[in-house]
Amino acid sequence: MNKCPQYIVDYMHEYLDGDIQREQELELKNHLQSCTDCQQHMHELSDSIAFIKSATHISAPPNLEIGVMARLPKPKQHVGIQK
Amino acid sequence: MDALINKRIKQVLKGDQSAFSDIVSHYQHSLYQVCYRMLGNRQEAEDIAQEAFVRAYMNLHTFDQKRKFSTWLYRIATNLCIDRLRKKKPDYYLDAEVAGTEGLNMYSQIAADEPLPEAELEKMELQERIQYEISRLPEKYRVVVVLKYIEELSLQEISEVLDMPLGTVKTRLHRGREALRKQLNSL
Repeated sequence: MNKCPQYIVDYMHEYLDGDIQREQELELKNHLQSCTDCQQHMHELSDSIAFIKSATHISAPPNLEIGVMARLPKPKQHVGIQK
Repeated sequence: MDALINKRIKQVLKGDQSAFSDIVSHYQHSLYQVCYRMLGNRQEAEDIAQEAFVRAYMNLHTFDQKRKFSTWLYRIATNLCIDRLRKKKPDYYLDAEVAGTEGLNMYSQIAADEPLPEAELEKMELQERIQYEISRLPEKYRVVVVLKYIEELSLQEISEVLDMPLGTVKTRLHRGREALRKQLNSL
């Protein structure tokens, strides 16, 4: 369907990772201005990221810390001393 | 913060077990979150997050204090999550042909792995839908997507967590984004 070269899609990802070279970025932008298929592709990628980033922050359940401390092996040097 | 954590690590190594609770308290939310996003189940996430802290405690003497403690913790937790996901999988190969069914393989038999019908997806709440889409990502893409976009780690940090070259992390993130794009735009 999309007959554009693969490197254009690679540039999109490099752009999204923030590690695209200046020249390649210009080439990508020029291409996007003239190609609606690639524009669409780029939008869908950005939307996918925004979608994942809209996940709400999840907190640990209240007893996680107590649970961990209870699962730790008993410290050897204190065995038998506690009252 | 790192200075305080390193101080607590030293205390634990000297035998003061109670100092470990500050470490748990500081990292519990990010560690639980990564487990929940990977596993998609609160009970399992709690179990695995706790297990990760216990393993960190047991292996604390092997931690190099010149490195970032969170990276080391994330590594323990993501390894445990991936192990758990692999154990849940049936132990046959999905693309193996089913005996006596010429050409049929397991993929064509497992209805649960097929995408939900559009009407079902529309009923989902946004947050439920986000978790559903994350859980549909193959695990090797899921882990980089979660670390990058939920935990907001840098690519360099992800490569340290997963003990994987930076180039591999980038490739997996690229493929993960493409997989997500396809999932979200297939309707």
